[in-house]
Amino acid sequence: MAVKKRFPYRAALVACSGGCRATAACEYGCVACGICAGACRFGAIEINALGVAEVDEDKCIACGVCVRECPRGVIHIHDCANPVVVKCSNHDPGKNARKYCSVSCIGCGLCAKACPTGAIEVQNNLAVIDESACLSCGQCAVKCPRGALRDLRGILTAKNA
Amino acid sequence: MAEFFINGAPVAAEKNQKLLRFLRDELHLTSVKDGCSEGACGACTVLIDGEPIRACTPDTDSLAGRRVLTVEGLSEEEKALYTYAYAEAGAVQCGFCIPGMVLCTKALLDKNPDPTEQQIKYALRNNYCRCTGYVKIIAAVKLAAKLKKTGEIPAPSHTDWKLGSSVHRLDVAEKVQGYGKYPDDWYLPGMTYGSAVRAKYARARVLKIDASRALALDGVLAVLTADDIPGENRIGHIKHDQYTLIPVGGLTHYLGDAIALVVAKDQQTLEKAKKLVDVEYEILPAVHNPTEAAADGAPCVFDEEGTNVQAVRRVSRGDADGAIAKAKYVISRHFETPWTEHAFLEPECAVSYLDNDGDVMLLTTDQSAHTTLHECTLLLGTKKIKVENQLVGGGFGGKEDMSVQHHAALITYVTGLPVKVKLSRAESLLIHPKRHPFWMDFTMGCDEDGRILGVKAKVVSDTGAFASLGGPVLERACTHAAGPYAYENFSIEGTAYYTNNPPAGAFRGFGVTQTCFAVESLLNEMADKVGISPWEIRYRNAIRPGQVLPNGQIVGPETGLVETLEAVKADYDAAVAAGKPVGIACAMKNAGVGVGLPDYGRCRLIVQSDGKVHIYAGASCIGQGVGTVLVQMVVTNTGLSREDIVYERSNTWIAPDSGDTSGSRQTLVTGEACRRACEKLNEALQQKPLAALCGQEFYGEYLARTDPLGSKKENPVSHVAYGYATQMCVLDKKTGKLEKIVAAHDVGKAVNPISCEGQIEGGVVMSMGYALREQYPIDETCRPIDKFGKLGLIRAHEIPEIKAIVVDKPGLDVACGAIGIGEITSIPTAPAIADAYYRLDGERRSSLPLVNTPYERRR
Repeated sequence: MAVKKRFPYRAALVACSGGCRATAACEYGCVACGICAGACRFGAIEINALGVAEVDEDKCIACGVCVRECPRGVIHIHDCANPVVVKCSNHDPGKNARKYCSVSCIGCGLCAKACPTGAIEVQNNLAVIDESACLSCGQCAVKCPRGALRDLRGILTAKNA
Repeated sequence: MAEFFINGAPVAAEKNQKLLRFLRDELHLTSVKDGCSEGACGACTVLIDGEPIRACTPDTDSLAGRRVLTVEGLSEEEKALYTYAYAEAGAVQCGFCIPGMVLCTKALLDKNPDPTEQQIKYALRNNYCRCTGYVKIIAAVKLAAKLKKTGEIPAPSHTDWKLGSSVHRLDVAEKVQGYGKYPDDWYLPGMTYGSAVRAKYARARVLKIDASRALALDGVLAVLTADDIPGENRIGHIKHDQYTLIPVGGLTHYLGDAIALVVAKDQQTLEKAKKLVDVEYEILPAVHNPTEAAADGAPCVFDEEGTNVQAVRRVSRGDADGAIAKAKYVISRHFETPWTEHAFLEPECAVSYLDNDGDVMLLTTDQSAHTTLHECTLLLGTKKIKVENQLVGGGFGGKEDMSVQHHAALITYVTGLPVKVKLSRAESLLIHPKRHPFWMDFTMGCDEDGRILGVKAKVVSDTGAFASLGGPVLERACTHAAGPYAYENFSIEGTAYYTNNPPAGAFRGFGVTQTCFAVESLLNEMADKVGISPWEIRYRNAIRPGQVLPNGQIVGPETGLVETLEAVKADYDAAVAAGKPVGIACAMKNAGVGVGLPDYGRCRLIVQSDGKVHIYAGASCIGQGVGTVLVQMVVTNTGLSREDIVYERSNTWIAPDSGDTSGSRQTLVTGEACRRACEKLNEALQQKPLAALCGQEFYGEYLARTDPLGSKKENPVSHVAYGYATQMCVLDKKTGKLEKIVAAHDVGKAVNPISCEGQIEGGVVMSMGYALREQYPIDETCRPIDKFGKLGLIRAHEIPEIKAIVVDKPGLDVACGAIGIGEITSIPTAPAIADAYYRLDGERRSSLPLVNTPYERRR
């Protein structure tokens, strides 16, 4: 590990898979402006092949600079022990979101229904996971018809869209 | 179709299905346990490309090219390593969570050979264990890490199998390596699947059952209704009020009542067919709680009863009213405790078939094979039944009643088919009896020195849809409500009501968990009034050898409450001196059924053709380790070596009935029976060597003789022995979380100290859940709302430091002085935690789970 970190590890998460390929059709998603990558002192963020920012959790120390700098507010800090995450920040109703993104959350609630612990709630058209209650089982991720929920280990789902 | 690798070998899953079903049903890799099939429990954890993943989550089609590992696929070195580490640490009880835990251990150590304690807790935290409280599993991971580095597996630290030695439990290898069989692990040739259509309404009259659509479905073999029952429809432990199947014209009592049994060739057909059984109901108003049940003109839960009162118990001695009237300090409070789900990791399952004698053979997971035999005999009207316990994945009281066994037996009896009947986790949560919720009003009077003068109480419980053990639970709640103190004036009245909620019955602590919360909380408040410490008030009132309990019993020389108080004193004083919030509580709990009921332990030692002594006792091991206890008894009392002894699982045709695993009784009651059998074996061994005794049997029987409740004797013996305990809880002032629990338990003679510690830690963590978070909410339709993962069970990273202190105190003249510890470990925890929170924030909390703590779950 490049930097000294305190357990339990936390890291920044870019809650967007780049379904619109950073065309800015989605007003909530990452637009690959690169501000986060530039602001990160640890070289933990790059713009990936899909055209969105991606965090290397091994390098990230959850300092929160990128969270503050992101003009779109798509980055938040999460517990690395919870690899199952919502990779979307879209608050548009599903019928709109579908028009410009193939991997956005549409607020259908299938994940909340599948969750065995009641850790997921759809808030303003977007699934939100309470990480303190999450068991990382991934039942939500395999049920999600949109691929908005992702297993960061790349096993239950691909890491990215 | 997908091709991937399992344990190194290429496989092809033709049909897309959950990985769990493929591993179990097609490959019979039964180490991968099915605890919920909904992602919550973690018992089906496997490694996929090195990451711990629940096998119930991914579809096989998503796994192309992946490498899946189960414990069957560990190398021989790894199997030996984890078996040793888990055994040496005492980490294995019921064993159902263990293969998943082992794989989490491997996943962690493969990446991080030197994990910190917190990293270990995080590696285990997504997997639930209900037996161990995680403490010894964490210790096992630490030990495994150490051994992995040295690459050598040492000899066990204890090899002498005498009483008092922490030998490795005899069932560790089969549980760690996953080859031990629970009923669900049986896949018999031609085995069918059975399941019940449940009531759609909690209280309704069944008008018509039409199975024609179900029977028309291809693969459906039979649909049975009440008309197919050859014997008594209504069965039950004591009171026969549990319907096997609700007949046409009959009332439903709760949503778990079975209406019809469907038998099909596979599980998918079964589920489809259940939906095709058409039942017509007349919906009737339901009874939701004891207040409604007691109201004038309330609907009756049972057609057969004129009232909803299931049981009334009164215990009275001396003059409580008079004593309270004269007391300097008097406190009256109302207390409430909730429903609690046992949440054993293994859902109920039974497998049944016709054996070569034409008998119905039942393979079960329950708390007494003989009780299952009795109830099924009643149901089928025949004695041609055999029952054998398989491994039991936890019980805690929740596997005392018939849940699936009677249905499996009926299906095989009527159809002749081998069948597996298994509850889904949702069915399990609905169907088996829970811990009773209690509503309690207590008044306590003390003199100026804090000596208890009298206690008066009235308690009400909801026993739900059938009696189960509602009467005895209420009785034990009442007899133990006085607490382990020496005073003479005590009076209590308890009433248990039928409602249309799920049934309530036995649960570790058996009613005492409830009344102990009330009386111990009162005593803590009383200490503040008197101006002495909660420790001091207990020390002044503590029952001592030769003194008389409020139930009239003179306690024996083995009584060790004072020793448990003294055992926590240093920790208590240190925490108080450091200004930390500290709470404390004591408890007593009977070992053995007591109160004049016939309570027999029986054991048969048979020297078989292998030249070894085989132990047969009809006493279920539900994870507590009675097999190891009995082997240690035989070694101690005969001088034979461990290698000369074989423990046999409980069955009904060789092993004599030794009662239910209930009331913390097996170590004492079956232990004494075993000791008596050893005496006879010893006599024979003086004449001949063991090998020459082949074919001989040595039988031991022990009646734990007691006096009935309300006995005319001046000092009746209610129970042959009691265990005593003091537990204290220290909070971290900053976080408001639990920092430490010290639990001192008087066990007479600890047969296996590390197993005793395991019981203590497991009981404490179970009751941390009871105190802080666990709920079992029931909605307007009498349906329990929550899934397994939402019950609020404590997870590995949430446990505080737990210091288990085993206090040995000789004096009991049976079972080599050993007193059972199963239940008492969960009893004083909640009031101790509640008091600690009062010391933190000044708020007295009189209901559970406690409010305003960091453990509270947002709902």
